[in-house]
Amino acid sequence: MKAIGLELYKLRHKRLLLMVTLFLFVEIAWAFMAASMSISRNPNNAEWEMLIALLSSMNGLFLPILTAICVSRICDMEHKGNTWKLLLTFSVKRSTLYAAKYISASIIMLVACLLQALSIIAFGIINGFKQPVPLILLIRFLIGMVLTNMVITALQQWVSMAVKNQAFALSLGMIGGFIGLAADLFPAGVRRIFVWSCYTGLSPVTQSYADEKIQFIVRNTGSLLPGMVALAVAGIAVYLAGSVHVSRQEV
Amino acid sequence: MNQVISTHNLSKRYDDTYRVININLSVCEGEIYGFLGPNGAGKSTTLKMILGLTKPTDGRVTVFGKDLETNRHFILSKTGSLIESPSYYGHLTGLENMRVVQRLRDVPDKNVEEALKIVRLDKQKDKKVEHYSLGMKQRLGIAMALLSFPKLLILDEPTNGLDPAGIGEIRELIKSLPKRYDMTVLISSHLLSEIEQIATSVGIINDGMMVFQGSMEDLKRKSNPTIMIKTRNNKLAQELLFQKGYSPTQHGDFLVFENLTDEQVARANRSLIAGNIDVLRIEEHKKNLENIFLDITGKERSL
Repeated sequence: MKAIGLELYKLRHKRLLLMVTLFLFVEIAWAFMAASMSISRNPNNAEWEMLIALLSSMNGLFLPILTAICVSRICDMEHKGNTWKLLLTFSVKRSTLYAAKYISASIIMLVACLLQALSIIAFGIINGFKQPVPLILLIRFLIGMVLTNMVITALQQWVSMAVKNQAFALSLGMIGGFIGLAADLFPAGVRRIFVWSCYTGLSPVTQSYADEKIQFIVRNTGSLLPGMVALAVAGIAVYLAGSVHVSRQEV
Repeated sequence: MNQVISTHNLSKRYDDTYRVININLSVCEGEIYGFLGPNGAGKSTTLKMILGLTKPTDGRVTVFGKDLETNRHFILSKTGSLIESPSYYGHLTGLENMRVVQRLRDVPDKNVEEALKIVRLDKQKDKKVEHYSLGMKQRLGIAMALLSFPKLLILDEPTNGLDPAGIGEIRELIKSLPKRYDMTVLISSHLLSEIEQIATSVGIINDGMMVFQGSMEDLKRKSNPTIMIKTRNNKLAQELLFQKGYSPTQHGDFLVFENLTDEQVARANRSLIAGNIDVLRIEEHKKNLENIFLDITGKERSL
């Protein structure tokens, strides 16, 4: 707890939350503009499933980049100021520092996810959606998003900590964003390899085209569970590999 | 005196090259130990091994009488350090940087104020560190090392980047630490003049090997003047003076004598003239520490 508190203290003046909020604002504004256009064309489209499906597919583009930036800013300060040595001479364990950074980044990304969920609720209420707020669906949407974020955070942190030059980590984030956006175009087998495709892969709502009309289908939890477990296992493996690798690096 | 740091055959190899070879460093309580050596001699690597930042290839480190490997936490809690370039969070102010260290060290607020005052940063504490000059960053690094007023302070080239006034100030500060706060200081430098003025003991490292270790007095003793005499026939003069009880050595065109009194020089001169050997020159050569250092390290390269 002390280490996490310290990490959050070190983020002072970084305006990280402001940056995350603004970035998210762009995504949400984009998604909601598309939703508003769709509703104005056909008022029957005013349903929660559409909002969730829209944001899930846009998350594939935005969240990998946002995660990369966020993690990079948390890790880069140790490289920039040469503070690894300083912390180690205070007997701070590298694995503790790694964990504290991971948890801090995850907390910030969790705030981003919650903001998205709240904005969906706000948009639905303002636009007078007929159905009540689908809490279960939103929670499932949040779980899928948070889980994917946590795995991507582990991957980004490994790169950001191991390679001083943050251009590598940020490039990875951008490549991830591209893969996340184009994920649905890949065959299922290929899609499974890329963690960035999980924003849409684990979304509780999926889109399908039938009779030149777009339809939003709610998936059942059972079908998503194996994917979630596999993702969690991959996330733990990436985290542990990163932590062990970074702990063994010479300062 | 109690030994605060002792290393036993400490060695470090990177790839196939040994950077540090069998270093037996010994620092006693209350000392200011100057660790001298040219750039790249292995000073920082040795200090990093003493702090547990780098794992030795061979050998062992004992600090406060305890083995470093098994008592790292205890040892580091009593040790302050500044290794190579200063470490800092540029986006935080000087005070916030100190607060980070304060949280890690678990020390009261008054320590922060006192440490900042000692390095004269108390008026600049609210400025972001990225806007500090190199000298100010260095002083902040020293303040961080001093924060818990540890029993042992390890400073690696602490005057790098400081202007002459700053160097003088830090020198006076380091000199005062053993008495004022009961500290033992290990300070490394490539500048002999800097160490000469503050250290009580010296270790000289070159190409990863310790080439001298002892008190400053021992080192200075090596600077005793030598008398050099040049004659028309040095060979004959050497034989003659041997018979008179002198032990000169031939060095170029000169006969070199160690530790001669004025009276002995006068007598040697008289003997040579009486032996019909013309004396061309009698010179006194004083070695300064810089020359001794170069003699010991065996090279006249840039320090």
